[in-house]
Amino acid sequence: MKILKFGAVWCSGCLVMKPRFQEIEKENSWLKTEYYDFDNDKEMVNKYNVDKILPIFIFLDNNDNEILRLNGEIEKDKLLEIINQNKDK
Amino acid sequence: MKNLFKAIFIALLLIIPFITRGAEPINAYLFYGQDCPHCAKEEEFLESLKVKYPELEIKKFEIYYNKDNAILMQNIAQSLNISINGVPFLFIGDQYFVGYSENITSIEIENKINSCLNNGCPDVVGMILYPQETEDPKNSPESPVPTETIINFPEENGDNPNQTDINNGENISNQETEKINLPFFGEINIKNFSLPALTIIIGFLDGFNPCAMWTLLFLISLLLGMENKKKMWILGVAFIVASAGVYFLFMSAWLNLILFLGFVVWLRIIIGTVALGSGAYGIKEFFFNKNIAGCKVTQGDKKQKVFERLKKVINQNSFWLSLGGIIILAFIVNLIEIICSAGLPAVYAQILALNNLSTWQYYLYILLYILFFMLDDLFVFFVTMITLQMTGITTKYSRYSRLVGGILMLIIGLLLIFKPSWLMFG
Repeated sequence: MKILKFGAVWCSGCLVMKPRFQEIEKENSWLKTEYYDFDNDKEMVNKYNVDKILPIFIFLDNNDNEILRLNGEIEKDKLLEIINQNKDK
Repeated sequence: MKNLFKAIFIALLLIIPFITRGAEPINAYLFYGQDCPHCAKEEEFLESLKVKYPELEIKKFEIYYNKDNAILMQNIAQSLNISINGVPFLFIGDQYFVGYSENITSIEIENKINSCLNNGCPDVVGMILYPQETEDPKNSPESPVPTETIINFPEENGDNPNQTDINNGENISNQETEKINLPFFGEINIKNFSLPALTIIIGFLDGFNPCAMWTLLFLISLLLGMENKKKMWILGVAFIVASAGVYFLFMSAWLNLILFLGFVVWLRIIIGTVALGSGAYGIKEFFFNKNIAGCKVTQGDKKQKVFERLKKVINQNSFWLSLGGIIILAFIVNLIEIICSAGLPAVYAQILALNNLSTWQYYLYILLYILFFMLDDLFVFFVTMITLQMTGITTKYSRYSRLVGGILMLIIGLLLIFKPSWLMFG
């Protein structure tokens, strides 16, 4: 499983989520994530239809198919729970 | 006998002018607003004076609902070259009183009546309203300029011993019942506390509006990469001060517009309706848009253009060009984004205008509002600059702030329309 993180430098909520994700990544070294900037990575933004709320976290399975999409700020515990539920996909 | 008649006739000739002079009416021109509590108190006091001084004639002009009277008051102010910031506004002879304070203004008013009874006084307003009837060469000055004035506003108190403070003297008899005891804070007068508390709450709720925060975050992200830390701090502070300056100018403009037009009821009704609309929208967002804990994405490349300009300004070789550029950019961006929170400052300016404050108090309240409005910006800026790590403020409470703000706006809107006197504190 892989998580695509979409955020922007002007988005306060994205800045709040940044350290939370850093902690999760540190605690779960197996987790693969990629970050895309809303203003600079337009190709990915358009590909995944990121057009309403930031930050957005898109979960992809091993075949790069989207399995889940989370919007806005999420508590660390809840995020960890969702990640663990989808770990083997 | 003939001599006796002659003596009586001569005596009458001598006495009659004095009798006539004593019976001359003293005109008091009271400009007031319906539902204005200070006006009601002054009206009551003047009625009680009428019993004591039958010569007193009170001419009343309601200005909230009567447009002609409001224009008349402005015309009088213009003719006499005086500024009237609110009601009650009372003119007796050549002296005027703005505001009303029991035990202070009341004494001054009575003194003025006594002075007019004993020495006579030119009916300055009468000369403007009824120029032909009041023409009296003995009493008329060359031009109808008030020779003495009392404005019961604190800012003018310092230099003139005749002037009194409307807030200090008022409601002395009621003050006991309006005090509450709070732990840590001690005894607090609710009326004195209400306007600052409302200022802080509305300013804080307005600050939750994320409209202008994105520019600051853009700027901070650029500043963090700078080697010259001194320049980094100066440019950041300049941006924040300029942003606060734009908001200050905007709110002052609103306040002055309302003070200028504020004597007419329709403006209050319009702003009350805006508050109701804004309140209803906030509550609707809370119930129907549960996914607002995040940043709304806007279409177009407006943000990117601002970002590029910021980058250009920051990277100027000349420090002064960078500083000037940052200030200009802060003005432009905040002016554009101000539309996003136009409702709250307008509603707040209307509440301020209702409160009959002195000029410096108006601007001090606006500064207090802006301080709390910018609290989140200040927090983000200082934390980021000190830790050198981008910091954001959580958006998860923004949904609840919309609910609280929505309810508050609904209440204020209803009060502005139906019971404005409840928003007149102090």
